[in-house]
Amino acid sequence: MNPVLCLSLCLTPNNVFCIVVEAGTPWKGNDTVERHLAAVERVGLSRGLSPQAVSILLEFSLSLRSAIGIRVLKFLVPASTVPEEAIIRGVSWLCVDKMPVNMQVLFVRWVLTVFDLIDSKDQLRAIYGFIFNFVTEENLVRRVLVLLFITYPLLELQTRMGCQPFLMHLLSVYKVYCPELVTISVPAKMKSGFKNHNSTWKAALAAVQKSSTTELLSDLQLSVGVSQQPATRKRKLHRHLTIPAVSSSIQSQSRLSGSKVFPLEQLRTFSQLLENLHRIELPAQMGSLLGSTVALHFLDCVRDSSAFLRLNFWLGHLLHEEFIFCKDGGTQDLTEATGFLNTLISTQCFLQEGFAATELFLYKFLNIWDGSLLRPEILGLLSNIPVVPCSRIKTLLFEPLMQLFFTSSLFFKCSVIECLTNMLLKWLTWHSVYAFEDELDISVTSQTPMNMTLSGLMDSVVELVHFVGRISTIGLQLEGYHSLLLSFTLDFYMMVSDMYLKYDLPLVLMPPAGVFYPALFATDPVNLDKLCHIMYRYRTNLMSAKNQEQKMKISRKTYHEFNQYVVSMVSCLWNSRAFQPGMGLEMDEGLLSRSGVPEPWTRFSLVYHPAFLGYAVDFHENCWPERMKMDLSSIKLGKRWDWYVEFLYCQGLQGLKEFMQSSLRRQSSVGGTRATSDSQSQPPS
Amino acid sequence: MSLLRPFSKLPELNMANVLLVGNDDTFQHVLADAIVKQENNVNVNVRLARTLPLPAENEDSRPRIDLVVLIVNLRSELSLSSTETSLKHLDTGFFLGKVCFLVTGARCTSVPHERLASLRKIAVSLHCPLLFTEDQTAKGISAAAGRVLNILRVSAGLVPLATGLGLSTLIRCSLPPDLDCQD
Repeated sequence: MNPVLCLSLCLTPNNVFCIVVEAGTPWKGNDTVERHLAAVERVGLSRGLSPQAVSILLEFSLSLRSAIGIRVLKFLVPASTVPEEAIIRGVSWLCVDKMPVNMQVLFVRWVLTVFDLIDSKDQLRAIYGFIFNFVTEENLVRRVLVLLFITYPLLELQTRMGCQPFLMHLLSVYKVYCPELVTISVPAKMKSGFKNHNSTWKAALAAVQKSSTTELLSDLQLSVGVSQQPATRKRKLHRHLTIPAVSSSIQSQSRLSGSKVFPLEQLRTFSQLLENLHRIELPAQMGSLLGSTVALHFLDCVRDSSAFLRLNFWLGHLLHEEFIFCKDGGTQDLTEATGFLNTLISTQCFLQEGFAATELFLYKFLNIWDGSLLRPEILGLLSNIPVVPCSRIKTLLFEPLMQLFFTSSLFFKCSVIECLTNMLLKWLTWHSVYAFEDELDISVTSQTPMNMTLSGLMDSVVELVHFVGRISTIGLQLEGYHSLLLSFTLDFYMMVSDMYLKYDLPLVLMPPAGVFYPALFATDPVNLDKLCHIMYRYRTNLMSAKNQEQKMKISRKTYHEFNQYVVSMVSCLWNSRAFQPGMGLEMDEGLLSRSGVPEPWTRFSLVYHPAFLGYAVDFHENCWPERMKMDLSSIKLGKRWDWYVEFLYCQGLQGLKEFMQSSLRRQSSVGGTRATSDSQSQPPS
Repeated sequence: MSLLRPFSKLPELNMANVLLVGNDDTFQHVLADAIVKQENNVNVNVRLARTLPLPAENEDSRPRIDLVVLIVNLRSELSLSSTETSLKHLDTGFFLGKVCFLVTGARCTSVPHERLASLRKIAVSLHCPLLFTEDQTAKGISAAAGRVLNILRVSAGLVPLATGLGLSTLIRCSLPPDLDCQD
């Protein structure tokens, strides 16, 4: 039988009465002790205990090593804060090695629950090693964390980083990262036990804290959000899909004791940041950084890998809980989610890098996305992801995207292409910023230094461009060559065509025929003009690539493809020799005559092309206002043709002008209407 | 056991028939309404069934089915198991681009992870697309209706230059990579 060691006490929040009990007094059947305990329990669960009382009771309960100790620990609900020294003394009790395992487990869990209420963590940090020692002890592991061995690499990583609420992370990590394994290996009985204990504490904590200051309340909610136990499912929806307020982990006590730390919540202006850059302490809640621009400047300056690690953990957990694993399966009001994701997007734009947690979340979310929920936000996040290695890009990104792309509406298709355009822009920009002479080193996110060689990046870019080529070819076909989709696709190729000159990536990739010819025969002048501009840019890029052949090697196939396209364009638009042999796109004469169109080879010239027909009519009316019968073929004669081309250039068709002026060598002897396509871009011999 | 066959009847002009199979009646009806309301160009005929096989007595009056949509509510084990039984009553011809799964409740906490995983395995083995749906919101339902219609138009032969089989090779379900093990 265990004796009650030294004291039992009865207290109210204001005063603590200590009743000294002789060592050796039996506690079983001792009514006095029982009465006092009941009183304390009532106070603890209704109003919470003062810091002093928590300190005394914790000491008391841990010294007992008996059922009473466990009972006391269960109602140890702090009213405001928990003194750090109480925790440290508790850990020292843990080290005595006489504590029963269930008591140890309960104590560690209690520490996790009240972690955010601990007034100062300076000294606690120093003894993390001890705490970890306990967690890794086999016996405890089996009870606390069945899956420690899975999360061990993560644990190790965080141990190296230093100042983190590791245990809390650990407990939550296992659920986030391997839910399927947890359900298999955690016995149901134990799981429910978990739930009860923590929800009791949390419910009690929440009830007690309701009356205390708002700042503490928000802290508590965050702690509930982060310490991910099965009980968190019971939380109110979206309670923490908000950016937490900035609060420093250094509390007033340590600040008064002379440490020269500048709390982040007092940071208001950029000049303050510059003055105190070396003294700023990271906040208790990394998520709070997202809300403040100055704080983001700070994050960008310090380049602290542990800061990014913490931020990523918080973010990954939050995104997973709110969007992949949500309580009601998606009936919630989306305004809060929209706001949060938009903040995240603007943060990423501000830092000019994507977070690893967002990336991982997106890969998971794409596989269960319906293509409509939060579409602009999800696609916005997606366009910010760092370069995906070529070996994984297909399974991670392309397959889920393709399944969504081909089943969804035209507008979804357009927004996916736009998203991929932005993604390519980001990748190319990163490249042009981080590119070095011979070997490329992209350190895209500082917390996961991703070393990517030039060829690695090029492979990924090639994959991306080919993917867009493939989906846009089939997408255009399914949507009946819709102008809008065509326009978005051409925007993508506008970037691709300029990769070498504008972004310094030695790569030239031509659009597939399934994109080129629909654009050439498009019914609207805007798309045709874009195509002309793209071909002009390809030409410029290829020319300069050819001049610097020692630096980059463009395959003969690319030159051949380009020449083929230029021949097609010139023969259609300028020479009125479309579909004839040797003019790029060939078509059987019998087939053409069966269509019943007179002179089919002229139908896509600058005069008759459906995209330019309106301009031709307009020009005709201006030239011959008195004519009753329209005769467009008269435009082709003599000086009128030059005037007409000038007229088209004046209509804002800049791309057409660039293309024509660069690719045509006019032969004046043939009366101006004949031209040959330039031979300068023939493959190098 | 009577099999439902895709090519045993002739198609009608400007007509597309979709069969929604699932035991969640309310969602089925809402979805059917949304599908009919969204399509204006062709006559869309939505037929509902709780499970397959379909009763033999209506066999003659039943039109040719262009697309079978199997609705799986992941919140209930029964929904998944009844879908598995229904699959046995479909002719193999349907699996050439005329079957798709519509999944609801995939983001729900109470859904065991294995249920989605086993459904995904079925879809992968049958080369069928797996469409995820937010069934609790009107926007989610109308998006789902739009996606079903997109597939239906192709499988009913209403989109020039596209066939159901061709489309299904592009959109069929693939096993997602195991992110947790690799990272």
